[in-house]
Amino acid sequence: MNEASLLNNALLVGAMLFSLGLVGMLTRRNLIVMFLSAELMLQGISVSLAAWSRFHDDWGGHILVIFVLTVAACEAAIALVYVLGVFGRTGILDVAAWQSLGNDSMEKQVDRELPSVDTLSPQWPRLTPAGVQPEIDQNELLEREHV
Amino acid sequence: MRIPPFSSPGLLLAGAVTLTALALWLLLPRSSSTRAARGVGYVFGTVALVAFIMSGRRMGCIGDEVVFSIVSIVAVVSGAATILTRSPVYSAIWFALSLAGVSGVLLVLGAQFLGVATIVVYAGAILVMFLFVLMLAQPSGLAPYDRVSNEPFLSAVSGAVLLGLLSLVIGRMSLNENFSESSAFAGFVANNPALLERQLLQDDHVARLGSQMFGRHLVSVEVAGVLLLVSLIGSIAIVSRNTESQSKTLLRGGLRDE
Repeated sequence: MNEASLLNNALLVGAMLFSLGLVGMLTRRNLIVMFLSAELMLQGISVSLAAWSRFHDDWGGHILVIFVLTVAACEAAIALVYVLGVFGRTGILDVAAWQSLGNDSMEKQVDRELPSVDTLSPQWPRLTPAGVQPEIDQNELLEREHV
Repeated sequence: MRIPPFSSPGLLLAGAVTLTALALWLLLPRSSSTRAARGVGYVFGTVALVAFIMSGRRMGCIGDEVVFSIVSIVAVVSGAATILTRSPVYSAIWFALSLAGVSGVLLVLGAQFLGVATIVVYAGAILVMFLFVLMLAQPSGLAPYDRVSNEPFLSAVSGAVLLGLLSLVIGRMSLNENFSESSAFAGFVANNPALLERQLLQDDHVARLGSQMFGRHLVSVEVAGVLLLVSLIGSIAIVSRNTESQSKTLLRGGLRDE
């Protein structure tokens, strides 16, 4: 494989990883998954930088990737502390949990109403009724996948 | 060199972008996602990946290296699974597999130190930290915010369009005939034909990287060290401030009770 095609392959892989991370960052609501998506974008950038470095036979790309690793570690440390703080206050990991932070005297800012809970009714298997029907926990019902 | 919009690589690329957007939309956690829709999404995703590879080949930017293909497919597919899985724990584990693929790509590119550092730093430290936080802060079962995404269609379309534009640019670059001579290394070799060896592919790769880091980029290393120290102290300060205020309120409440 010659150098130019190696560069193009690696750039394509980097572009794919970056776009996947972008989609995850835009659409997922769990804070942890959002950070994982950000790390995926950083991985795409690292692959592109290493490819350019190989193409030009220059150390700059490698050095920059090492600093990207450093900054990613710092970012994860600080961000996870804040995530734990938000989880301690609200009990959920939703991004919308940030909306409820702030002073009580301030006006609450709500960007938009997020889509609500699953609307499909669960489909249970049909069994012959026997004995007393147990009480169904509504919360547990929400957490289950469709049978 | 330009790629006309109705040529065969252009059409193939447009089809791949459309299929990628549809597959991501079908596979993302949505309120009305059924098993059949997810199956169609898997099929679309596979076809989109094949179409990307085909259009890359038409534009001449995909070679025949087997190892590179395997590791890059592992990286991309498990990267997609990272953002598509509903459970955040599974997402973290898929991300670890994606890191393994990325470090394989880096090794093929000749970046030995970076490949190993990616595994050690990311999979060994950062990912374990994520998993710790997940264990500390995981509500029982799948929460509603894990099962319904925010605007899945629009974000899938924007990601696919970004990917299409990037691969169009990469394809145009590779169609340029004298592109290989634009490399700084090629120019250097043309000027000094005696020096044909690549610096990055020598046996003492890591030693050379270290001498670069602690020679030319010494100030940056110092700055990165300060950054690490500041973030360490900052995260400890944030945590201890929270616990301190909590314990103070507890203490005040206890004193008032007496």
